Amino acid sequence: MTQFPNLAGMVLIPAYNEGATIGRIVEESAWATGWPVLVIDDGSLDDTVARAAAAGARVLPLVMNIGSWGAVQAGIRCALEAGAELVVTMDADGQHLADHLYRLVEPIRAGDADVTIGAHVGRASAARLLAWRIFRAITGLGVEDLTSGFRGYNRAALRILASPDATLLDYQDIGVLMLLREADLRFLEVEVEMRPRTSGQSRVFSSWLRVARYLAVTLVLCVSKWEHSGPWVRNAQPRRT
Amino acid sequence: MPFTYQLTSALLGLGLATGILYLVRRNHLHTRYALPWLIVAGIIGLLGVFPSLADTISSHLGISYPPTLVLVGAVALLVIKLLVMDIDRSQSEVRVQRLIQRLAILEERIEALQGRRGSPPP
Repeated sequence: MTQFPNLAGMVLIPAYNEGATIGRIVEESAWATGWPVLVIDDGSLDDTVARAAAAGARVLPLVMNIGSWGAVQAGIRCALEAGAELVVTMDADGQHLADHLYRLVEPIRAGDADVTIGAHVGRASAARLLAWRIFRAITGLGVEDLTSGFRGYNRAALRILASPDATLLDYQDIGVLMLLREADLRFLEVEVEMRPRTSGQSRVFSSWLRVARYLAVTLVLCVSKWEHSGPWVRNAQPRRT
Repeated sequence: MPFTYQLTSALLGLGLATGILYLVRRNHLHTRYALPWLIVAGIIGLLGVFPSLADTISSHLGISYPPTLVLVGAVALLVIKLLVMDIDRSQSEVRVQRLIQRLAILEERIEALQGRRGSPPP
């Protein structure tokens, strides 16, 4: 356990029907960091909200399902308003280990990075590695694990990600990284272990049709933002809606 | 009186214009959306009453079969209209999503103030 009592941090956990695991994840991450844990409930149909609250989390109840990134962004906006200096995001399905949260926090606290990405390349299938390689080649992002939802953001990164321009994104992956890169923020990828999922499925890689859609959408995003991505971030002033 | 090409087309334009005005009157259509449709109705009526207009414009543009001009023009307008609709939809999706987020943030804050979930106020 490496707690950071002098740092105004927050743990964000987007959750959709994760009642089976959410309680334990909340307790573990609160214990590991000593920070408030914010569960963003993405319109779950099960007892996710009750279990998260019972475990001591603050819960943002989204009235309807707006997708994983929409949920994370809701948490980011809330964290900014609460004055958080540093935020870590983790999945609710148990694959990210609370014991490794400090690895995301340390480089940001030390000023070595604005954004940290918990990577576990070993978990990826050959097809996924190929997809990442292609997207890496197109975007020029020097990040191995492009889809990892195990990330740390400092306040500068949070401000950019809270903007309406970021609301247009579909996933917390390449689009988010491209947006942050445009603002010249520094990434650092840290190697972490991941558990096999104990419940649920990957929300991105759950069926072939979804994979195809994801790849197509991401490809369009990469191509359209290639080279000419300046105005996107220059407009990214945080506004209230 | 037999229905001529002019009469049919003019009636079509007139009918469309009447329909649009009726929808606005019944509050089914926003006034600002009505305007482009009234212009379209006007063009249909105009081309109907004066079919030679299409011929004149076509000959200037080097189109040998004037109806092509009308059809291509209509398709182009429809494509532009659909694209504008999707742009509008993207913008309103962003607005709705941000409202959902804000609603959740405010709801959490109220819950915290009331102390029902036992979490400290932000």
